[in-house]
Amino acid sequence: MSDQNKPGNLRTALILLSVAVAFFIGVIIKHTLLR
Amino acid sequence: MSTTLDHAHGHADDHAHDHDDHHPHGWRRWLYATNHKDIGTLYLWFSFVMLLTGGLLALGIRAELFKPGLQLFQPEFFNQLTTMHGLIMVFGAIMPAFVGFANWMIPLQIGAADMAFARMNNFSFWLLPPAAILLVGSFLVPGGATAAGWTLYAPLTTQMGIGMDMGIFAMHIMGASSIMGSINIITTILNMRAPGMTLMKMPMFVWTWLITAYLLIAVMPVLAGAITMTLTDRHFGTSFFNAAGGGDPVMYQHIFWFFGHPEVYIMILPAFGIVSQIIPAFSRKPLFGYTSMVYATSSIAILSFIVWAHHMFATGMPVTSQLFFMYATMLIAVPTGVKVFNWIATMWKGSMTFETPMLWAIGFIFVFTMGGFTGLICAITPVDIQLQDTYYVVAHFHYVLVAGSLFALFAGFYYWAPKWTGFMYNETRGQIHFWASLITFNVTFFPMHFLGLAGMPRRYADYAAQFTDFNMIASIGAFGFGLSQAYFLFFVVLPSIRGGEKAAAKPWDGAEGLEWTVPSPAPFHTFETPPTVK
Repeated sequence: MSDQNKPGNLRTALILLSVAVAFFIGVIIKHTLLR
Repeated sequence: MSTTLDHAHGHADDHAHDHDDHHPHGWRRWLYATNHKDIGTLYLWFSFVMLLTGGLLALGIRAELFKPGLQLFQPEFFNQLTTMHGLIMVFGAIMPAFVGFANWMIPLQIGAADMAFARMNNFSFWLLPPAAILLVGSFLVPGGATAAGWTLYAPLTTQMGIGMDMGIFAMHIMGASSIMGSINIITTILNMRAPGMTLMKMPMFVWTWLITAYLLIAVMPVLAGAITMTLTDRHFGTSFFNAAGGGDPVMYQHIFWFFGHPEVYIMILPAFGIVSQIIPAFSRKPLFGYTSMVYATSSIAILSFIVWAHHMFATGMPVTSQLFFMYATMLIAVPTGVKVFNWIATMWKGSMTFETPMLWAIGFIFVFTMGGFTGLICAITPVDIQLQDTYYVVAHFHYVLVAGSLFALFAGFYYWAPKWTGFMYNETRGQIHFWASLITFNVTFFPMHFLGLAGMPRRYADYAAQFTDFNMIASIGAFGFGLSQAYFLFFVVLPSIRGGEKAAAKPWDGAEGLEWTVPSPAPFHTFETPPTVK
């Protein structure tokens, strides 16, 4: 299972997580500021 | 598409014998599980328990609606039943079931040893039981469970008791679980494919899950945002959706359906993937139009982001918006039609046999397509304004989600269960399960089209006497469907776990893919040395 520790896995996961966080914060900020 | 294993480099079999016993036993095996097969099994059992729970609530609904007037429940409790039935089925049954299939099959299909993040995989699963307990336990708190409908619309959500907060917390937890699961699935597919397994050689089930996982990452945080704002409206003095404080309840609907419509495709795209595996296997032909299937799946996913307001035609919007959302929705019929065409073209002149997985897959094509057509009808704005909030819509989405998602899950179970358990299921019993489910499903939901066209509104415990006959038929069908699933559990699933005819490594002679190169049942560790795909 050597490829489970690939640094590429962590990079991919962090990119995807940042997209999710951006959507979560984005939708709240949009409705807080643009009303 | 065809993938062939280069046996000179494939070591799945020999590794199987080396490591067969190297796994924990007893409860630790499941609580500390990091193996993708064990976690897949946990997801599948969890979702089946939730399916039965949501099914019992549905039978409560149908028992109440057997006759006009109030029979068993007060209207407040009836609304709790419909709400919890929807939430449990969507978030507890259908979605986790597909994640279970993903956990079991994606590493096997791409030649990976496991999922990319095995411990996060464990955490993703074990978040679900507490969320389910919160959701189901909310029936017991003062005021009962949330009764705002599975869409959790404001202003109802601002008026409910603590059951609403429990529901919101459960949704947050299940959403976090889904996001972690999606990150794991995307990372696994992008980074851990066996040498030679290019993207355009991947099995369709893997492709559909890759696209579904992207959808989940984009929309689950939006739902989380919407229910977080609902929570702050309830407890922290904000007025996002509270009209009395200057908020906008219709805005909640926009945000919810920006999540909710892609969610529909999250529940159907992996189903398309399963059917796209089974039809070629039992037609003994490669999938017709593999590339177009990939592009059609991507098109459906992209279009799903620009159609959300077709759920809201009755809220009032400019005619230009109505036209945009109507035509955009109708456009989805094109890639969906490509898929149905390709499945039929795959069967065309194939050497077809009709074992249980194939019966479910063909049943899926027939009945799901009917749900697709009624969806097109609902997409027409003036028609929708008549039909919205009637039983026509209830019929439509049950044709898509039961005859679509659930039938494909059953198809996938019969197709891959020999690989999971090492035993063949009983073919006669599988066919009885299929025919009983197909007939009782249609007895339940087909009359609802007539009820909706005649104007019977949904989400009420009572109805006018003229709707009685069709409601009685639907209720009888629902209990038959429930019994069919009890038959599935006791006469198909449990016996096929306990024993039976030994399954060959590749029990279906037309099947293709890496999962059939490992023994049945699949050993605890597979593909520790990646196979090479030609």
